Amino acid sequence: MTRIGQFILGIKEYLILTVLLIFSLAFLFSNDNTQIRFLRAVAVGMFGTVQSGLSSIPNVFDLQQENKMLRENNIRLSNEVSNLKEAKLENIRLTKLLNFKETSGLGLVSANIVNKSLIQTRNTITLNVGENDSVFVNMPVITDAGLAGRIVSTSRNYSIAQILFNKDMRITVKSQRSRIDGILTYDGVSAVSVINIQKNADIVPGDVFITSEYSNIYPSGIPVGTVVDVGNLDNLFKKIIVVPLVDFASLENVFVVKYVPNKERYALEKTFQSGKK
Amino acid sequence: MNFKYGILKNILVIIFLLLIQKTFIKILSLSSLNISPDFVIIMLIYIGAREGKITGSVYGFLTGLLADFLSGTFIGLSAISYTIAAFLAGFFNTENEKFLTKYLFLVTVFACSFAGNFIYFWIYFQGTPITFPEVLVKYVLTSSAYTTIVSLVYVIFPRKRRIERSFLGEA
Repeated sequence: MTRIGQFILGIKEYLILTVLLIFSLAFLFSNDNTQIRFLRAVAVGMFGTVQSGLSSIPNVFDLQQENKMLRENNIRLSNEVSNLKEAKLENIRLTKLLNFKETSGLGLVSANIVNKSLIQTRNTITLNVGENDSVFVNMPVITDAGLAGRIVSTSRNYSIAQILFNKDMRITVKSQRSRIDGILTYDGVSAVSVINIQKNADIVPGDVFITSEYSNIYPSGIPVGTVVDVGNLDNLFKKIIVVPLVDFASLENVFVVKYVPNKERYALEKTFQSGKK
Repeated sequence: MNFKYGILKNILVIIFLLLIQKTFIKILSLSSLNISPDFVIIMLIYIGAREGKITGSVYGFLTGLLADFLSGTFIGLSAISYTIAAFLAGFFNTENEKFLTKYLFLVTVFACSFAGNFIYFWIYFQGTPITFPEVLVKYVLTSSAYTTIVSLVYVIFPRKRRIERSFLGEA
C-alpha cells in the first residue's frame, strides 16, 4: 500500500498534467455547450469593460494609417459625388429635352454642341449632326426654352449654326401679347434688340417675342426672348432690348427642326420681289 | 501570507499581460500571418521554471482557459498549449534557478513556447489546407522566435531579487 502511495506521489506531477489535459480536451469537445457559452459571455463581458478603457491606446498608433485611409476614401467619394451630380444634371437636362421632343410636334434631330463661340461678333455653335442626319442649311435650331439659331453650314456629320448673338442674324418676330411685328437683331457687342417697331406700339418689359409666320425659315410660334427694356430709338421707332430665352453659356444639347420652307410661297414672294424691282 | 501574496501577484500579472496581449495584438503583429509575441506564455514559463511542474501546469491550465474564453476560438486549445508549455518549463526548475538567469532563460522560453505553439497551431489548423511543414515554419517557429525575442526584456532588465542578491553578495 505504501509502495502504491509512493508510486503515486512519484508521478503526481504527471497525474495532475493528465487530469488538466483531460479537462482541456473535454472543454475542446464541448465548445457549443450552453454553460460554456455562458462562461465565455461572462469572461468577455468582464474583460471587455477593462479593455474598452485601454482600447484608445492602440487607436493612437492606428490614427495615422486610419487618417490616410479616410483621406483616400474622402477623395474617392468626392469624385463619386461629383460624377453623380453631373449625371443627375445631365439626366434632368435630357429628360427635359426628351419631353420637349415628344410634345413639340415638330420633326426634330437631337444634337450635342461640340464647339461654340460666344465672345465674337458672329457667334456660332458646331453640332454633331450633319447631312447624314438630314440636317441642311437654314434649318432652325431650338431648345426646350426657345429659338437658338439656324444652320448655316453642313458637312456629312457636322453642322454649324448661327445663334442669336450673331450680327448677321435677322429674325422676323412678333409680340406674343400685342401681336406687334418686328425684326430681331444683334448689335455685335452685347444687346439683342427688336427693331422696326413704331414708337406708339404696345410693348412693355416682360413681353415675350415669338417667331412670326412672316418668316420663311422659322416655324411660327417659337419663343425667342423676353423684353427687358423699352426705349426710343428716334422719333419714329422704339428701341426694345430683349434677352434670349436660351441660355447660351450653359447650352449643351439642341434640336434641329426639320422644317422645310414652303417652296411655292418662297417662289411667289421671290417673283413678286423681282417684279417690283 | 507570503505564499498567498505570491499567488495574488502572479494572477494580477497574468491578467495584466492578457489585457496587453488582447489589446495591443494589432500593433505587435508581424506580416499578414498575424504572428505576435505571447507575453502570457513567457510569464507561465517563468512560473513553471521557478515553482515547478505542478504549479506551472495549474497556472497554465487556468490562464489558458481564461484566454480561450476571451479569444472566441476553440475553448480548451490555449488551455492545452499553456498547460504543456508551463509543465515543460518545470523541467528547468533547479535549485540555483540557473534557467531563470541571463540567456538560459531565452533557451527555456524558446523550448517551452515551441512545444506550446506546436500543440496550439497543430490542432488549430486541423482540417485546413495548410500543410504540416507550413504550420511548423510559418507559425510555430516564427511565433516562438518572436516570443523569445520579446523575453529579452527579462534578460536586459534583471529581476529585483537578483539585484538584491548581488548587493548582499558584495556586502
